[in-house]
Amino acid sequence: MSVMASRPILRWALPAGVVVAVLGGGVVSNQLRAAANVTLPERSPAQLIVDVQSANLTGVSGTVVEKAALGLPTLPERLGGDGSSQLNSLISGSHTLRVWYSGPDKTRVALLGAVGESDIIRNGNEAWIWSSTGNTATHLTVKDTPGVMHPGLGASAGVLPSMSSVPMTPQQAASAALAVLGQTTRVSTEPGTRVAGRSAYVLSIAPKDTNSLIDRVRVAIDGAKHVPTQVEVFAKGHPNEAAFSIGFSQVDFSRPNADRFAFTPPAGAKVDDQTVDPAHAFDQVAKPPTAVIGSGWTSVLATRLPKDLNPAAPGAGAGAQSGKGLGLDMVLNTLPQVSGAWGHGRLLQSRLFSVLFTDDGRVLAGAVSGDRLQAAAADPAAALR
Amino acid sequence: MSVADLRQSSDPARVPSGGPVGAVVYRPHAVSSRFFRSELLLIFGRRRNWVGGLILATVPILIAIAVKVSPPSPGGGGMNFLNQITQNGIFVALSALTLEMPLFLPLAVAAIAGDTVAGEAHLGTLRYLLTVPVDRTRLLVVKFGAIAVFALVATLLVALVGAMLGLALFGGGPVVTLSGTTLPFWTGAARLLLVIAYITMCMTALGAIGLFVSTLTEQPIGATIAILVLALGSEIMDAIPQLSVIHEYLPTHYWAAFGDLLRDPISTAAVVPGIWSALAYTAIFGAAAWARFGGRDVTS
Repeated sequence: MSVMASRPILRWALPAGVVVAVLGGGVVSNQLRAAANVTLPERSPAQLIVDVQSANLTGVSGTVVEKAALGLPTLPERLGGDGSSQLNSLISGSHTLRVWYSGPDKTRVALLGAVGESDIIRNGNEAWIWSSTGNTATHLTVKDTPGVMHPGLGASAGVLPSMSSVPMTPQQAASAALAVLGQTTRVSTEPGTRVAGRSAYVLSIAPKDTNSLIDRVRVAIDGAKHVPTQVEVFAKGHPNEAAFSIGFSQVDFSRPNADRFAFTPPAGAKVDDQTVDPAHAFDQVAKPPTAVIGSGWTSVLATRLPKDLNPAAPGAGAGAQSGKGLGLDMVLNTLPQVSGAWGHGRLLQSRLFSVLFTDDGRVLAGAVSGDRLQAAAADPAAALR
Repeated sequence: MSVADLRQSSDPARVPSGGPVGAVVYRPHAVSSRFFRSELLLIFGRRRNWVGGLILATVPILIAIAVKVSPPSPGGGGMNFLNQITQNGIFVALSALTLEMPLFLPLAVAAIAGDTVAGEAHLGTLRYLLTVPVDRTRLLVVKFGAIAVFALVATLLVALVGAMLGLALFGGGPVVTLSGTTLPFWTGAARLLLVIAYITMCMTALGAIGLFVSTLTEQPIGATIAILVLALGSEIMDAIPQLSVIHEYLPTHYWAAFGDLLRDPISTAAVVPGIWSALAYTAIFGAAAWARFGGRDVTS
């Protein structure tokens, strides 16, 4: 104490030490986790893909963290930025999901907001979409039609409305990435990593076409269970920071309890009952004309916006009153205007993909630069007549 | 404590040799709650703090009356918890806590924490306290303990007034979690206690920052304003997406994570980092307050 009385400055060693301990503790534990020796027997890319395809996943639950650094203008929380629990918000910022899986017809995904939550629960022929913010529950019953396969959560994304087309689980994201394999793709392995505290193989998938905005896709495959536990997409020119990543931060491969998938709407909630007939699901929705220009990693999808969502279409005022139309309208007006032989429009460019909204209501999207998108728009096939 | 007490407790061996004959070196008992009790009496006996408590309690009362007068339509959206009140009165407490978390509770903690050391210095009582003699470290520990107790009492006040009034006006019943599942009433009430405990931790961390700020100045108002500016500035920075790199280090970042405790099952995704963050801020600023206060000259 006498030293400290004569030199009070020495007392500051304590708070400084606490700061170092707190920050150092965090950094060291992160690095230990990342650098911990991953000792897994060698496996070739082909073996890994087979492993994934033959993996028998009976059940999994855990916390999934999704991060998007697409270089897009960051959205405020109201429009689906950080911490929003709205299901259409996964394209921006960082989000946490909780996932329970017990076979393709028993799944539950919860998107966690700060003080809110959206859940999608699928149990056999039934599905519930719960939103705590609105206190609403949507009940979907899939009509049992013989001959029509019951799609899993991923395949049913088109059937269930308001479900985002962004992959919700690492499994979906990995199968989507593996599906585009072919002669267009270079597949290799990278040194192993750790995901959710477990050793994992890393499969690297890179396009051969240099015009693609995608540099490579890294898929982490659990060393013991052979299930993809993390998917990272890297953009050209940003080899160290994933433009989009989704992966488990905590995972448990035991089968979740069956009552996790039983949902009873709470008293007082607004319940909306809907019946979905998978055989005729797409009859009600006027399927917009679509065309694919190009092939492989640089293919461009051209389609037409539904009338009520198209801000350029006459009578868009009515559509703009719905939240979705309003958001799209606001975002579109902030985008730079472009024009060419194909007409006029607005161009959205991100690190991974570009989207061109033309004034005549067409939408073109692809993992290519804006210039190549405009060239594709001039293609006769993209006229959508 | 009488002079006789002091004589009895003094140990001849502790009298420094060469000291004046008959000098009494008083060493306080290692564990005596007397100073702590007098500190609590100071905080909870002041009329201005009673008025502050009344303001904190007004929010749940306003919420309960407003919802009773004009109940929200089902599925009408709006604020979380507010649309549950008509089903279960306990949600008045959660609504009030959610509303008071960003400003009213930090304001109350800032007022108390800013007053701890700077207030004594301003009134000129700090030097008398220290000549009693109270060890400076002990003084800080007592002041911090009183802040923690106040944080708990303030949070409890809001929650209990809300829960009592809500249950009286709307009745109890099963508690709906954020996940859409329903918990029995007492399980739900236990979750509310967890929320109170978590918010108390967050507010105590702010109080530790306040204790440090309070040792920097002799102006309690200045300290209170500085603490509030820190808290609100942190909340503002937390709302700017471009600053997302530093968000997790902000003292207020995990304040809303108490929502994790209301999911089914309880999620640890944000609430556990939140607890670590609160503990880290408490440790860092508690140590900083000690370093600052132990070495400073008490001039007033």
